[in-house]
Amino acid sequence: MKRWIAILAVIAIAAVLPLLLSPTGYWIRVLTFTLLFAAMAQVWNIIGGLANQTSLGHAAFFGIGAYTSTILVLKFGISPWIGMFAGGFLGGIAALIIAVPTMRLQGHYFALATLAFGEVMRVIANVWTSLTGGPVGLSVPFVPPSIAAYSFKQLLPHAYIALIALIIVTVIFEAIRRSAMGYRLRAIKENPAAAEVIGIDTTKVKLQTAVISGVLMAMLGTLYAQVAVFFDPDTVFSAASISIRVALIAILGGVGTAIGPILGALFIIPVEELMNDLFSSGAAGLSQLIFGVILIAVILWRPRGFITVFDSLMARFSNKARS
Amino acid sequence: MNASQPLLEIKGLNAGYGEIEVLHGIDLQMFEGEFVCIIGANTAGKSTILRAISRLVPHVTGTLRFAGNDLSNRASHDIPTLGIAHVPEGRHVFSDMMVEENLMLGAFTARHAKDLSSRMEGIFELFPRLRERRGQLAGTLSGGEQQMVAVGRALMLQPKLLLLDEPSHGLAPKVVEEMHDAFTKIHSRGTSILLVEQNVGLALDVATRGYVLESGRIALQGTSAELNENPAVRAAYLGI
Ligand SMILES: Nc1ncnc2c1ncn2[C@@H]1O[C@H](COP(=O)(O)OP(=O)(O)OP(=O)(O)O)[C@@H](O)[C@H]1O
Ligand SMILES: [Mg+2]
Repeated sequence: MKRWIAILAVIAIAAVLPLLLSPTGYWIRVLTFTLLFAAMAQVWNIIGGLANQTSLGHAAFFGIGAYTSTILVLKFGISPWIGMFAGGFLGGIAALIIAVPTMRLQGHYFALATLAFGEVMRVIANVWTSLTGGPVGLSVPFVPPSIAAYSFKQLLPHAYIALIALIIVTVIFEAIRRSAMGYRLRAIKENPAAAEVIGIDTTKVKLQTAVISGVLMAMLGTLYAQVAVFFDPDTVFSAASISIRVALIAILGGVGTAIGPILGALFIIPVEELMNDLFSSGAAGLSQLIFGVILIAVILWRPRGFITVFDSLMARFSNKARS
Repeated sequence: MNASQPLLEIKGLNAGYGEIEVLHGIDLQMFEGEFVCIIGANTAGKSTILRAISRLVPHVTGTLRFAGNDLSNRASHDIPTLGIAHVPEGRHVFSDMMVEENLMLGAFTARHAKDLSSRMEGIFELFPRLRERRGQLAGTLSGGEQQMVAVGRALMLQPKLLLLDEPSHGLAPKVVEEMHDAFTKIHSRGTSILLVEQNVGLALDVATRGYVLESGRIALQGTSAELNENPAVRAAYLGI
């Protein structure tokens, strides 16, 4: 009961926050991307946290989603809302194609195989000019603002859509974690040999997580395309700024927990922006260097993620409340 | 199934990992209600026989039949549904789960059965120590207790055949004895057991029949009494 009140309070604060920021300003943009990246990291968390398979190729699904909905608007005038589901479908198929041969790989080998897959997708998008426009990129066409056309004059609606997306994927993550499937995944994570002999179909469960994660990641790609308005293969299929970043956010926040990716995004995205803001006038790369140092410091301080800080705060809070 | 038909029938079994063949033409038969052991030195391939039955070895040829079913076209996650429970080598428990959760997961393929709590009660009767520790995380148990969890988890399936891979390895003599008493009880309740042991004296004590495995081949077979008397067995394994 108390838990639900806390969750509703957080959602209420998150719902009011965008209204306090200037609707055309810089910080509403940062907020929108923070929420979007939190959602992306949560989706990564389904395979990375629950199935314990560290994917470094999630940009592949993200880019597929961004391109699918945008191409459908450009060529056929189909609303991005519908395009989002088409992208999700293709993202799921892509996830299946990559997961079937790689899911048996453990640890680093799975990470490398998925990283390579993401890069292959980037190369394909660069070369298949007739469909994707190649390296030049695509612009989401301007249409008169309306909810049905997923077109808005301001960023504010985008911030709310990102917030709703984050809530939905967090609910999905938590539902999976608590389901029979979540139990199976936990068993596989804790002892693969024992999971095998009690009759858990290890490959099948892991494939299911890969497909769910791929579908949702592609759908978030549409959200990104609609906010960014312009993108090219090197941004949406980027290993560094999509694949590795979403993994980093989840890991830094607390992998395998529902709150982890949210905490991670709340930290990483604003800090990264702040560093760019403060140091962009200095030597080239200075802001990245400082950001990198901060990340290292944080990982040394909390190797198991921000979630541990959060947990101890919660524990102190509930102790106080009781006494 | 008619009574003269073996419960488990292995004929001309070759098995290996990658290029390396570990088992060469194994013939092994077990009838319902038997307690059979496989003994042999390290790396003879004892675990590989059990793993081949559970379909956990990648390369297998030859006949593998259980209770009228051909196992060779079954997936590993299908095996428990046929009534084969496998306690793998090493103490494989789900460390961050409670003893009770570990046991429940053993009945994973029978999760819709109505009598799961009475099955668990039966396991607590067999291993009273587990009842006291039902709410404890399995990873914090002693080695012997973890092995009891692993065996209990397999029994939750109420298997026709129980595969035990060196269940007493690394345990204190007193716990080993407790463990073997439990096996005798399990057997007397009607479960067929195929036991792999390096401790040959112990294995021949509890089992009624045995196979001696040497470098992937069956070198000898017979009743426990026969093997106990066999000079070769005595010299090689019993140190007499
Ligand atoms: N997963 C594997 N990959 C490759 N080779 C393996 C694998 N598992 C076992 N082997 C090899 O197969 C041979 C037989 O192994 P197995 O585990 O069946 O022997 P064992 O009789 O059970 O030995 P022990 O008494 O030490 O448990 C060994 O040479 C081993 O190195
Ligand atoms: Mg062995």
